[in-house]
Amino acid sequence: MAFKDHRDFFEVLEKEGELLRIRQEVDWDLEVGAIGRRVYETEGPCLLFEKIKDYPEGFRISNGTTGTWPRLALSMGLRKKSPIREIYKAYEEGLEKKIPPRIVKKENAPCKENIMIGDEVDLYRFPSPMIHEGDGGRYIGTWDLVVCKDPETNWTNWGMYRFMVHSKDWLTGWPQSTSQLAFIYNQRYLPKGQPLPVALVIGTDPISHIMATAPIRLQEDEVDYVGGLRGEPVELVPCETIDLLVPAHSEIVIEGELIPDKIAPDGPFGEYPGYRSGTMCQGVAVKVKAITYRSKPILTMIALGTPPDDSSIAASLTAAVAMKQGLLHRKVPVTDVYVPPEGVTHLIIIGVKKGGMEITRQVLDYFTARRIMTNKHIVVDEDVDVFNMTEVLHAFATKCHPGRGIAYEWYEGRANSLTPFYSPEERKRLKGVSVAFDCTWPPEWPGEIIPIKASFKTIYSKEIQEKVLRNWTQYGLK
Amino acid sequence: MAKEWQTFVRKFDDLKEGKIKLFIKDLTPGPRKYDTKFVEAQVAKSKEALPDGDLLYIRSESGLKIPHPWYIRITRERPPFVSGKPWEDVFAAVERA
Repeated sequence: MAFKDHRDFFEVLEKEGELLRIRQEVDWDLEVGAIGRRVYETEGPCLLFEKIKDYPEGFRISNGTTGTWPRLALSMGLRKKSPIREIYKAYEEGLEKKIPPRIVKKENAPCKENIMIGDEVDLYRFPSPMIHEGDGGRYIGTWDLVVCKDPETNWTNWGMYRFMVHSKDWLTGWPQSTSQLAFIYNQRYLPKGQPLPVALVIGTDPISHIMATAPIRLQEDEVDYVGGLRGEPVELVPCETIDLLVPAHSEIVIEGELIPDKIAPDGPFGEYPGYRSGTMCQGVAVKVKAITYRSKPILTMIALGTPPDDSSIAASLTAAVAMKQGLLHRKVPVTDVYVPPEGVTHLIIIGVKKGGMEITRQVLDYFTARRIMTNKHIVVDEDVDVFNMTEVLHAFATKCHPGRGIAYEWYEGRANSLTPFYSPEERKRLKGVSVAFDCTWPPEWPGEIIPIKASFKTIYSKEIQEKVLRNWTQYGLK
Repeated sequence: MAKEWQTFVRKFDDLKEGKIKLFIKDLTPGPRKYDTKFVEAQVAKSKEALPDGDLLYIRSESGLKIPHPWYIRITRERPPFVSGKPWEDVFAAVERA
């Protein structure tokens, strides 16, 4: 089933017992953030806050749309209890087909039900939440989708970047300086000193938001992949004031321009690695030209922080599959890649058919080739289930030689400045280091000296295993 | 009653007493709370030094708040941004403004 918008997905969440409507008045200033955060930490439902202090009836905030594996599975039309491996497989297969979007007329676009243009623009009409105590401002863009375009090739990029309300008609934000948005700006707009048109889309169909987290290659449109995953085209509509197309069924669309010669503070913000670690005042400023929105709009929030939340779950899926494809492209004999949400894309598990330090070095080379969002990589043999962290930790503890099984590499200008353990100076210079742990048996070891794993499946003969399984209940075991 | 404002610094020692330029956020309750202004102002650690001043809460780059507020008297309000290039350090741009 393909969801056209945020609202029809909520109907399914409600039927599945995965949505809680909070009708009691709540304060946009910290209270909704604190509730959302605690609900993530207790693996609770998606929340829809229906009455927000200081705001008219109908202006709503949601939190945690696809913040758990069951809700992510539902968003893809899968069974709620689908195993993670099955979700990965469905996503990977979905990426193989691309369906281009369909342009619809303005009268068929719910996001045009209300329009503010020019002087009418007032960001304070929306209950943008102050999510964490001590954040730099009210983040209207957390579970968002930011659209920009390469004017020479027409490549339209969708990314997920934080944006906060700066004043009535200005946003500040922090797409990283190594992001695809920054790439487009630096290539096409900076040389001409021109503003970059951007649209901040809040609250559209769940797959579109998930794909906005995906590291898709340059010059590839995320929207085509969303169409493939949904099995039907995404409906887009032209913006009012800038030359961009946005999902027609969005809750709120903020149209603006990233200004080339003006800046203002962004951040700090409690970010996806689970810390508020000092990235601030090095972002971008956007002058808002128009806001279009559905009646009774839902502002999609994620009270980001320690995992799991929407960010760590979505990135676990989209980043892992992209990494697997990238490694295969480089001829690394990879079987599976898992990005455990608990590792917040800092920690990656890579299963390989053939191990050893040479392969481990190839893995590290891939992860450090361009902009670098990861830093710890555990390489395991294919008999280790990468999705099973008990098996992964066991392999790490027992197979990684601390003297000769670790490769690392330093770099500068490409690191992820949100990495909490980097010093302020390293963050400023985007200086970082990545490590790969070889948790495989050396390929040069003859078979007879390789330790035998003492598990039921590996240390007993097939006959014994079958006998034990056959008689299992007769032993009085369940 | 004195108004309340908030500002961010990279490190607490970065903020100096006297006449300075800074971005501040309006802490007045209501739908416009946290609106940002760029101002020229006198700031002081003690109320005695700025008896007619508003309260100024100070937070570091990690969002940590100094326990006791400073005081601020706004002398001029400017447009809420400074000249600079995207991804440039805003504090360096404020110095130039």
